[in-house]
Amino acid sequence: MSTAVSIPLWSMILCYLLLLIPLGISWYLRIGIVQRLLWAVVRMTGQLAAVGMALIYVFRWDNTWVNIGWIVVAVGFATYSAIQNTELNYRQFFIPIFAALFLSAASILLFFNGPLLNLSNIFSAQYLIIIGGMLLGNALKGIIIGIADFYKAIHQNQNRYLYHLAAGAGQMEALIPFFRDALKASLNPSVASMATMGIVFLPGMMTGQIIGGSSPDTAIRYQLAIMITIFVCITLSVTLTILFSVRQSFDEFGNLKEEVFR
Amino acid sequence: MHLNIHKLSLQLDGKSLYKNFNLEVAQGEKVLIKGPSGSGKSTLFRLILGFMQADEGAIYLDGQALSPGNVWSLRRRMAYVSQELNVGSAKVKDFIRDVFDYRANRHLEYEEEKTLRYFKQFDLEPEKLEQDFGKLSGGEKQRVALIISLLLDRELYLLDEVTSAIDEALREKVIQYLAGLEEKTMIIISHDPGWEQYDFRKIELKK
Repeated sequence: MSTAVSIPLWSMILCYLLLLIPLGISWYLRIGIVQRLLWAVVRMTGQLAAVGMALIYVFRWDNTWVNIGWIVVAVGFATYSAIQNTELNYRQFFIPIFAALFLSAASILLFFNGPLLNLSNIFSAQYLIIIGGMLLGNALKGIIIGIADFYKAIHQNQNRYLYHLAAGAGQMEALIPFFRDALKASLNPSVASMATMGIVFLPGMMTGQIIGGSSPDTAIRYQLAIMITIFVCITLSVTLTILFSVRQSFDEFGNLKEEVFR
Repeated sequence: MHLNIHKLSLQLDGKSLYKNFNLEVAQGEKVLIKGPSGSGKSTLFRLILGFMQADEGAIYLDGQALSPGNVWSLRRRMAYVSQELNVGSAKVKDFIRDVFDYRANRHLEYEEEKTLRYFKQFDLEPEKLEQDFGKLSGGEKQRVALIISLLLDRELYLLDEVTSAIDEALREKVIQYLAGLEEKTMIIISHDPGWEQYDFRKIELKK
């Protein structure tokens, strides 16, 4: 099979011009997102161009330490983004989320590149960075839903939490119902997308691989593997984030600290 | 359980709620607390349970000052029934079982027969055991919460308006039952005149 046809610059410009359609409609209907949309497009372009250029070098060097460093930095950005998208306190949550994301993404990555793909170099940029990015992106979404849901629910339903403490529950015993709800909320979107995969939409990884020249058989195997590992990664990262953050989010009496929220 | 609140002071939202407040409740004694809303009645319970900390003063339970080191074990000797009972949604039976599954409560055997005896005592149909706790009426929730507290057989009962949503005929019955538990130390927050007939010490909190 052939590799993907590259897109010339003028075609890209044409593609950007397509944005005039949503821009025109938004402007006419006064949806008020024109400015945000333009800023988002500028950011996306800048970020992807920068990443693209960096990746050219990273792929050329393909150095284990640089690749690991890339993942660590990506985990840092994901952590920052996760907290930014919630109302939680940066100082309180950076380390727990960073540790949870890093541990879950790293262990799944090692599994993916090791036993699953049987790569001769499991730290190869082509796999480590690309698969790592997909895992982190999805774990990030899960954490945003899960962790925000968890602390907001405890805050809003303090009576429920305190009732169970008074009834004799230990800290974790009283937190389990909230944990259950948060994990469910963070896993729901993945379960829904798994169930409709292939029927409603063809997933990005698979589409990319087929355009890139892989056979549909290989593309589907990758897609199945990535969906399952993403699911495991979200479960692990949300669970670990909650476990790592609980200790410092409650005082010694078991009460939720004010400084959990910013 | 003997309770001694010593020189307790607390400011909440810039307002002094308690200043050098003292209260001693002897083992088996029952104390009725009254006062307008905002006078800190429910806050007092939260302080005793360690859900809030006072600015000054101390709370002694059987001579032990409430602290992070003993709050977990002391809580397990208290029963708290609050007026806000949106505390979960599960089959009533499972809700009760969950409480009995806590490590601290495992020494108590959950007995459905005993539970149903309390149900009968407090006019709850046995079928309620199969219904969702979250969907019970306010009065039913209050009775189930009371029954759980009785099944847990604690020493100090903190009852916050526990009869407020129960209809009048039944209220008398519930109050009579609780008032008859001679060994239990009780602090009762209530505006219910049903408690007045008993010779309990009354404390009036002011705003």
